[in-house]
Amino acid sequence: MKEHDEIVELVCQTLVSAGSVFRSDKQEAYQRAVLKEKNESAKWVLETICENAATAEKNGSPLCDDTGIPHLILDVGSECAVTGGLLDAIYEGVSKGLRTLPGRPMAVKGEERVCLEQSEGIEEDSGLLEAAPVMIRRIDQNLLRLHILLLGGGPAIRGKTYRVFHKHDAQNIVDEIVEWGRESVRLLGCTPCTIAVGIGRSQYEASALMLQAMAEGNYSVQSELEQEITDRLNETNVGAIGLGGNTTVLATFMKIGQQRASGVRIVSMRPCCCFEPRIASVVLEDRENKKYGEIV
Amino acid sequence: MREIRTPIGEDVAKTVCVGEKLLISGKIYCGRDAVLPKICALAEQEELREKGISLVGSVIFHTAVSVAGVGPTSSNKLEIETSIPILSKRGVKLHLGKGALSKETVRALGEYHSIYAVMPPVTALLKNNTISTRLIAYPELGMEAFYELEVCGYPVIVAAAKGECIW
Repeated sequence: MKEHDEIVELVCQTLVSAGSVFRSDKQEAYQRAVLKEKNESAKWVLETICENAATAEKNGSPLCDDTGIPHLILDVGSECAVTGGLLDAIYEGVSKGLRTLPGRPMAVKGEERVCLEQSEGIEEDSGLLEAAPVMIRRIDQNLLRLHILLLGGGPAIRGKTYRVFHKHDAQNIVDEIVEWGRESVRLLGCTPCTIAVGIGRSQYEASALMLQAMAEGNYSVQSELEQEITDRLNETNVGAIGLGGNTTVLATFMKIGQQRASGVRIVSMRPCCCFEPRIASVVLEDRENKKYGEIV
Repeated sequence: MREIRTPIGEDVAKTVCVGEKLLISGKIYCGRDAVLPKICALAEQEELREKGISLVGSVIFHTAVSVAGVGPTSSNKLEIETSIPILSKRGVKLHLGKGALSKETVRALGEYHSIYAVMPPVTALLKNNTISTRLIAYPELGMEAFYELEVCGYPVIVAAAKGECIW
């Protein structure tokens, strides 16, 4: 495994990439949206978002001033070890990345009531913002890979995790997701969005699956259910930043996990903003190919 | 695009149309959830002048101001949207943010000859259009304090004016 300082630097660079770079499949999705957009104002917005992304990538600066809360997924292969020291290096790299990007200072001071009420204000140091708890997944490849996602506040306001009674017909679940989506995309303001969905057996599991959907989703690959959700939400004609037009939703990323032997499914839905999923990944250790450090 | 310089006159607010693109230049205020209720309270207590704030013809951009830059936050958050009628009555001519507003807020904007405009959240581009940043009030709120920016050519689209809106 790489040394502590090397991991810190890799994690730092990965976080900066997550906050400033559109992956190629997203760039292509926007180019397709621009070409098919008939509403001139919405087309201008889509082009401006692309121009913003190019500028952010060139400067290594934030795509959006809400630089988000870091969420980490650590993929662990069979012979790879996760130690406390590794997690310390990852957290240190996150702090360094937040200071480098720079992230918006968003660590709320105090605990309990003081923290809830934000009554003592906010820390000035961007690096004091703590990441959400790390999700660890066992993978078949014999490597250690870290995904960093930055989750902003607007989608958090509009997201929803709740039970759906499926009545033994998946269409009922899709209909409910579309209904939630219709309500949220109108209010979001940062459309076109990407709908991230996790369906599992508990609120925890559904939320974890939703986060994985954000990490694994690809704008060029849509399942039948994902495409149906995307198409039906685009019929709302909310359009880019609510101005109307063809593209309200760029894509849907859905991950369906194990299900309860019952009439209920727990669904977590996040209407990701026009920049999300903001994600970058890095291999920290590769036991077979001895290749590591490439950020994608 | 029509170019608008602050302070915005009554004539501008009465003649812009929903869907019209504007380029905003001049000094604009910035505030969001934490500080706008405080600004409303100052306005109602006639204490704005003591803080060096003049709302007549002003723009209020719903954003935090930090090292990460600026960008519109959701204007339909409770504390922000409820500030719009109060501050429009006191002379604010343009509220800048994102997201749909309620019918009641759109009606109030029309009543006070104020407008609501939205912009894409293009922080990386706005950096080039932001000339200076000045803290005006409530520094303890950090990025949520009340700021004044000097800007050049901020691109916006009118989303609500004269009681009409794009939704």
